[in-house]
Amino acid sequence: MMKNQYLKICMIAMATSLVVVWAGSSAFAAEKKKRCKAQGEKVECPTLSDEALEKAAKAYEREAMDMAVGKSGSTYGVAPFDYLTGVGKRTDKTTLTKGESGYGGHDGGGTGKTELWDRVKAPAKGEAIYNQWTNNWSPTFTETRVPGADPNEGKQWYYGYCIACHGWMLQGDGPVAIDLDPRPRTLVAGKYMNKKSNLELFTSIKGGGEAISLSSSMPSWGNYMQDQDIWNIVAWIRAMQDVKSPKDLDEYLNPKSTFKPIPGDVNPLNAADSEDFAEAQELMEAELAGRGGGDLVGGKYVEGGLRKKPQDVAAKIKQGY
Amino acid sequence: MHCNHKFLVVKLLSAVCLAIGGVGSVASADDRVPSWQNAEVDNKDTPLHDPMLLYNAGGLDGKVAVIGLPSMKTYRHISVGVDLHEVVYGGSPAGNKNGTPDGKYLYVNDKGANTIGEINLQTGMLERLIALPFPFGVHHIALSTDGKYLFGTGEYTGKMSKTEISTGKTQIIDWGPAPSAPDYLDVGKKGKYVFAGNYYHSTVGVFSANPFKFIKAIPVGKNPHGVDVIPEGTLALVSDKLSATMTVIDIEKLAVKKVLPTCAGPLHTVMDVYDKDGGTYEPGKDSPEGLTSKYAYESCFVADSNVKIDLKTLEVVDEIPTHYRTGHIAISADNKYVIALNKFSTGLFSPTGVVYPVNFEMWDAREDSPTYGKTLKIIPVDGEPHNAKTIYAYQIKDWTMGQAEKGGLLKAGLTPAIYPHHKSKSKRYFMPKSNEQPGVRVVDGVKEIHVKAFSYGYIPRQIRVNKGDKVRIFVTNIDKAAGITKNPDVTMGFTIYGPYGLRTNLAAPRGVTAVTEFVADIAGEYAIFCQHFCGPLHLEMRGSFFVDDPNEEASNLAVGDYEEAQTLPGLVQEGELTIAERVKSL
Repeated sequence: MMKNQYLKICMIAMATSLVVVWAGSSAFAAEKKKRCKAQGEKVECPTLSDEALEKAAKAYEREAMDMAVGKSGSTYGVAPFDYLTGVGKRTDKTTLTKGESGYGGHDGGGTGKTELWDRVKAPAKGEAIYNQWTNNWSPTFTETRVPGADPNEGKQWYYGYCIACHGWMLQGDGPVAIDLDPRPRTLVAGKYMNKKSNLELFTSIKGGGEAISLSSSMPSWGNYMQDQDIWNIVAWIRAMQDVKSPKDLDEYLNPKSTFKPIPGDVNPLNAADSEDFAEAQELMEAELAGRGGGDLVGGKYVEGGLRKKPQDVAAKIKQGY
Repeated sequence: MHCNHKFLVVKLLSAVCLAIGGVGSVASADDRVPSWQNAEVDNKDTPLHDPMLLYNAGGLDGKVAVIGLPSMKTYRHISVGVDLHEVVYGGSPAGNKNGTPDGKYLYVNDKGANTIGEINLQTGMLERLIALPFPFGVHHIALSTDGKYLFGTGEYTGKMSKTEISTGKTQIIDWGPAPSAPDYLDVGKKGKYVFAGNYYHSTVGVFSANPFKFIKAIPVGKNPHGVDVIPEGTLALVSDKLSATMTVIDIEKLAVKKVLPTCAGPLHTVMDVYDKDGGTYEPGKDSPEGLTSKYAYESCFVADSNVKIDLKTLEVVDEIPTHYRTGHIAISADNKYVIALNKFSTGLFSPTGVVYPVNFEMWDAREDSPTYGKTLKIIPVDGEPHNAKTIYAYQIKDWTMGQAEKGGLLKAGLTPAIYPHHKSKSKRYFMPKSNEQPGVRVVDGVKEIHVKAFSYGYIPRQIRVNKGDKVRIFVTNIDKAAGITKNPDVTMGFTIYGPYGLRTNLAAPRGVTAVTEFVADIAGEYAIFCQHFCGPLHLEMRGSFFVDDPNEEASNLAVGDYEEAQTLPGLVQEGELTIAERVKSL
């Protein structure tokens, strides 16, 4: 009973702070740059300018519209369509290009395969599949700066869940960034991010911005991802600090991060022994959706989705993967 | 006219063309008609008689649609509720995904209202609603091998259910730890197991059907979607949505047999089915024993295609382009056509308003046909259909012209014909795109909640109000280019499941704010979800609506007015509802 009362008070306190954050954000909307805190020091909030965000949003939009009309060079946009055959392209031409129709199976002398199958190569194996099919060339890491967490796994969750606000290159310039106030943080700003502890990053992802007294626009992900998935995202962010817009493919695929692990910081290998971690977990778990006691307690590890235990991540990285 | 298409020589279609004056090619009178030219023989004197019917759960329009195959003409809609996901024919699940219908009932689950509807196939009316216990959040259902129970997945609560169809008695078990999201399920064909994917765990859970309990979890690829058992009952095919692979589970060993790369964004799989003599399987006429299959067809959302998999070698043998973004996938009962249930129709149809139609695309799966792999028909479809399944038209009798009078159609007493009361206890409107900050503000005693929606999320994502609050929810679509797929025309949905399902069910197209207002009069934790398919992570676009009773602890899955919620106030009248009683075991 005592425990519940305590948590309830915490939640009320959180709800109150929320109102303050919202009121605050609209009051300071006109201000150019906000001050943020990192390790007690005041620093400039790492966000991009409105001009940059407008530009980024327009670029995403243009890319999407290009896909709709079949202009995009992407492998998988909205595949152009031929009204006559039901296959192939709907371009401004009304005639078919030679060889674009007539599969005619066994009797017709054709290959029996459809045009799309002819166009794309047989699927590649392993990691390349993901890159090939989602058209996301991206770095593959051979080391981690967060013991027990895998930046390569984190990267994949990041692409699914985080880009809408934080952008492909973690610049805080996703397609919806311009619609949010405060603006999403630039996640590669080492001056700010390198001062944040692993626990702070973990807490802001799992419990949302409110959990570390920041914007409620950053949602809580603890009812979407397991703790290990979140740790992997922390490792991905750590691996990208101060990485600038790349000049060439080689630079893009081999980012050099400025982050150096903070001594004594919590990581997935030692989290079980950390009192700070336990306290943060208790507060977040009380707030999250999808918890009803019994088997529905949160945060535990489940093997699946190519997920590895922290010890196995550590072992794999030690072997050099 | 489309009729001068030189390949459309299927007798049925040619006849239609001729009937409406087109210059169709005339079907050959030769006795040695190639097999691809054969439509089903029917003894009616009208070419409009379809040999098969496709029933689909219409998603956000709350209706089941009935579509003829192969004409692809919509016959009718049956109104059921809020957001319909899975259709299951009563009878048995023997065979492929179409099962072995007995022609009596069709079951359809309503994710928005947390119910299962029972449609009488012979009257064509909704006859009963089974209100499942809260908290649950039923995503899909599957029929038990003996046809007496329906298994369900509780996507929003990490739970699984088993419901006795006749009484509504329901056993619910937890599948932790959180976060846990069981979504698609299928039964083993031999009555022993139930398989369900869990996209947060990235596992397939194996459950004993009787007694109903968790046995084990089999790790699969990232965020699995469909889990589909082949007619032989030997393999379960899992679509690993984010790993671009198919995990094949050996049902005897309950272990992974093979992981094969298939396509980008694989979502669901159907298979063909043959009787023990290798002919087409006709339920009610052929024995359900010894059924086999040759090919599986998997939908590929991101790749805009369907892939064909040889079930002997477990290899991809072909890829067929679709238009666009195939979600679910269906197959005709005679194995001749595959129907891609496409979630996007960008540029394909005449506009009819702010919300675009989705489409069904029927392609020719007959390998010996010159039109193999090609689209034969593509039709706009209202709502946002989830699954669709085929039944032979012969299983639904002709009750017209007074034949119902002879008996057999209706039992003694009253047979309900339910029409759910739509949009109850709420006011809904559209307004120009709002630029208000997200969050909660009290305006003239009303809690105004401003929500921004984009693929794949809501801001804010957790909304907490007090019981009795008058709430007004503004949902603004700020999406510009859907994540991963970059579609430019994504409509966002906003539904709070359960007692608030009919009061929300908002569709917010780009550039528009959708508004609903209602009184939050039932306490509890209710999931918010996007009911309009927006991309590969559509299911993960979720939030939570907490209604706290000030006299109780803050609501969660264990604290809330869940018994009251189960009566679905405003959805149906008293007497039209079977309240599923929660039991310890079934």
